[in-house]
Amino acid sequence: MIQLKNIFRWYNSGANRNFVLRDISLDIKEGEFVSIMGPSGSGKSTLLHLLGMMDEPNEGEYLFLDQSVLKIKEKQRSELYKKHIGFVFQAYHLIDELTVYENIETPLLYHGISSSERKSMVADILDRFNIVGKKDLFPNQLSGGQQQLVGIARAIITNPKLILADEPTGNLNSKQGEEIMELFKTLNAEGVTIIQVTHSEKNAEYGSRIINLLDGRIEKV
Amino acid sequence: MFQNYIKIALRNLRQNKGFSFINIFGLSVGMAVAMLIGLWIYDELSFDTCHENYETLGQVMTTQTFNGETGTGQAVAIPLSEELKIKYPKDFRKVAMASWNFGHIIAYGENKFSKDGMWVQPELPEMLTLKMLKGNIKALSDPSSILLTESLSKILFGELDPMNKLVKLDNKTFFKVAGVYKDLPYNSEFHNSNFFIPWDKYLAEQQWVKNSQTEWNNHSFQLFVQLNRSDDFERITAKIKDVPMKHLNAATDGKEEILLHPMCEWHLRSEFKNGHISGGRIQFVWLFGIIGTFVLLLACINFMNLSTARSEKRAKEVGVRKAIGSERRQLINQFLSESLLVVFMAFVLAVILVQLSLPTFFNELADKKISIPFGNPVFWLICISFTLFTGLVSGSYPAFYLSSFEPVKVLKGTFRVGKYASLPRKILVVVQFTVSVTLIIGTIIVFKQIQYAKSRPVGYNREGMISINMNTPELYGHYDALRNDLIKTGAVENMAESSSPTTGVYSNQIGFDWKGKDPNAIPLFGIVSVSWDFGKTVHWKIKEGRDFSRDYGTDTLSLILNEAAIKLTGLKNPIGETIKWNDKKWKIIGIVKDLVMESPFRPIKPTVFLMNMEWVNIITVRLKPGLPVRESLAKIEPVFKRFNPGSPFDYNFVDEEYAKKFQSEERVGKLASVFAVLAILISCLGLFGLASFMAEQRTKEIGVRKVLGASVFNLWSLLSKDFIKLVVISILIAAPSAYFLLSNWLQNYEYRSEISWWVFLVSGAGAIFITLATVSYQAISAALANPVKSLRTE
Repeated sequence: MIQLKNIFRWYNSGANRNFVLRDISLDIKEGEFVSIMGPSGSGKSTLLHLLGMMDEPNEGEYLFLDQSVLKIKEKQRSELYKKHIGFVFQAYHLIDELTVYENIETPLLYHGISSSERKSMVADILDRFNIVGKKDLFPNQLSGGQQQLVGIARAIITNPKLILADEPTGNLNSKQGEEIMELFKTLNAEGVTIIQVTHSEKNAEYGSRIINLLDGRIEKV
Repeated sequence: MFQNYIKIALRNLRQNKGFSFINIFGLSVGMAVAMLIGLWIYDELSFDTCHENYETLGQVMTTQTFNGETGTGQAVAIPLSEELKIKYPKDFRKVAMASWNFGHIIAYGENKFSKDGMWVQPELPEMLTLKMLKGNIKALSDPSSILLTESLSKILFGELDPMNKLVKLDNKTFFKVAGVYKDLPYNSEFHNSNFFIPWDKYLAEQQWVKNSQTEWNNHSFQLFVQLNRSDDFERITAKIKDVPMKHLNAATDGKEEILLHPMCEWHLRSEFKNGHISGGRIQFVWLFGIIGTFVLLLACINFMNLSTARSEKRAKEVGVRKAIGSERRQLINQFLSESLLVVFMAFVLAVILVQLSLPTFFNELADKKISIPFGNPVFWLICISFTLFTGLVSGSYPAFYLSSFEPVKVLKGTFRVGKYASLPRKILVVVQFTVSVTLIIGTIIVFKQIQYAKSRPVGYNREGMISINMNTPELYGHYDALRNDLIKTGAVENMAESSSPTTGVYSNQIGFDWKGKDPNAIPLFGIVSVSWDFGKTVHWKIKEGRDFSRDYGTDTLSLILNEAAIKLTGLKNPIGETIKWNDKKWKIIGIVKDLVMESPFRPIKPTVFLMNMEWVNIITVRLKPGLPVRESLAKIEPVFKRFNPGSPFDYNFVDEEYAKKFQSEERVGKLASVFAVLAILISCLGLFGLASFMAEQRTKEIGVRKVLGASVFNLWSLLSKDFIKLVVISILIAAPSAYFLLSNWLQNYEYRSEISWWVFLVSGAGAIFITLATVSYQAISAALANPVKSLRTE
């Protein structure tokens, strides 16, 4: 599903080049649950953003579903992204002015889905996540775990093939964290590919594969 | 999708109530001002358009030159009309003589009213396309007929049919009602003419008018013409301008040219310089047009400023939306529709503000009868396109700016506003304050000029005097009896009659000669004929010589000159000198201190006072000081009723008449001050909003500084400094431009105040004070905040 070939990413600061990613090559198949680990500054998030097409490498090649992401047009890329990828953030990043229901509905608006269809899709997912009672609350009325639940609901409502999660449990206590990871596991079992960045060994264990990053390189284990 | 945008927009507005208020209210005030000024301009431009022949009608004006001084006025001589009719028949479709529009007593039975009307030739009603409700528009060819307005007919006859009823004019002549026409709207120059009466009767009834029929140098009448084409005015003016000089003697009569003043310029371009149109109210139209545009601009600037300042707070939302699949186009649409929503709300509020302020405040201030033309599709078209335009323009910057954010940076928190991101905002603040400070300086100088002219010594005591027009024959010829009876009431100190009130000089004459006069000069003097008691009534001050007096039988050939007149003659010892005029020899018996009878903004006209009881037409009464005015008037009224039973007792207070001379300047001053206050208000709203965002953005910095030991004062000056800098720059730009503009304006007045330095100092200090007051609230509350809290948010 995903193929990275010799990816480099650097920032220029003055005359120096600060490498964030060096020569990353990676193959991820559909249905995998990959955990990316590594200390702060090792390039985990950058890698995730590259995978999510929110950032571009300076060098290298990126194939997503056998399409070369870096060579297609901006518009096609955002189509590709919109269709296949859902994002889950450490800080949830819900829109504060919208209710739970509306937050989950928003991606459907951008997908141009009709109003009645939207209604049933959102209702399904609220039901599935057991948050029907919370649908009219605003994000600041929810606990962190509940907010992340909404974040995940929003990410999967468009039925993406791939979920990218940037430390999804980073701001949660261990019990909430466990619940989220269990949810990911279920989703994975249903066929969704998941790539998560995490600090926690325990959470990483949920994945089927662990990639360790150090100073922008993949450590061979 | 659109629903979603609106929902978000409304929730955003509700969540940031203060911000929303500043944004919507500020913009709506700006729009309301622009709308008021737009309506005002529309009204000014609509003058006289109610006459169907608006484009081809015109008035003949006379430009006379005496002693190198040129003046243009409406007064023409009667023979001119015949000459134009006979010699230029192809150029004029119609020509009609008319008298001035002045007061008459019109009566039907016991119903008596004092109303203004005109003697006109029969063609005029047709030229003006009066809307006849009854009767014939050509009826004035019968010299015993009268045409009335609907409203006059109502008050005279009530529900009775007015046709063919007889009304009595000035207690003297009967006229038969031959037609009733619809009242002309107030934006017609003929609005104040309540009736038209036939010119031929004027000739038959008044000997002096009859005599004027052959006098080319008697300029006492008006002449209206209708051309065949609207673009013919200049060509025909060139053709006829020298007609009077063929009949006049340049040596004695001075130089004279005529010109055609098109009706479409009567209202807005009515001032002349050297025989050419030099301006008029059109200057106010431009002035207010510019002010309105600026105030609106200020409001739009605020709107953009606040939206972009806020945009940084909404960066996260943009990031999230992009991360969950929004395209840039969709974000642009979202922010544009948000701004359109806000502008639309502001527009609705503006319409409400205008609707409220028109009847209660604006119409009185501007002396208008404006209403919002709700039924006019053009009005709505302009308003809607204007709303759309404002919304798109002021929303476009935030829309394009916000939608360009890169989601990764925003969501990671590494997003930083660039060093120069606030530069445009700073420039906008400078523009706002430049306009505001200019308006403050302007307002102060306008009021200073008015005050300066008001405190000018007038040379007589205008308090406690009333003036009465002598409309009917009964009032003439009883001078002493009337005066004695009035004084006997105990309410009157003195009474006099004269040919002009103390607030005007109605007659100007040439043909004066004296020892040592430059033989080529044709000096022009104001002439006021007065009775013996005039000086003692108005309390003028004799500087040299003596006042008119009953003790001297010869005073019918005596003159009193004002100081300006003495200066013009150049006589060293004027008392006892002889002046030749009107084939008679007159002796100067006194010099009176200059009286401000005409415009207080102009130099005093050289004026000659003499005694000729045939010319008088105004009674001036000085009430006894210390008595309640209403009681005094109640005592005076029966005396006038006795002498003049056919007329209502109509009088004017002299001090009120004098105050009218300041009306137009005071109106400009008041309007300018209202706009200045609004401009300041809008600028302050913007500043307040910006300051609050700045304080919020710098929360962390403030927290760190506080932890390091900064005092509240340190922080306050840190935060205020930035704004003071901007305002100082504005003052530096505003001061010279205001100086330039206002010294130009003051050139209009010969009697003018200086522009003093303190005006700039006060305006500048005021602007800085207002800025500090606005910014300090935010600065101090930011400085007082607990640093632990603000640092924890990071």
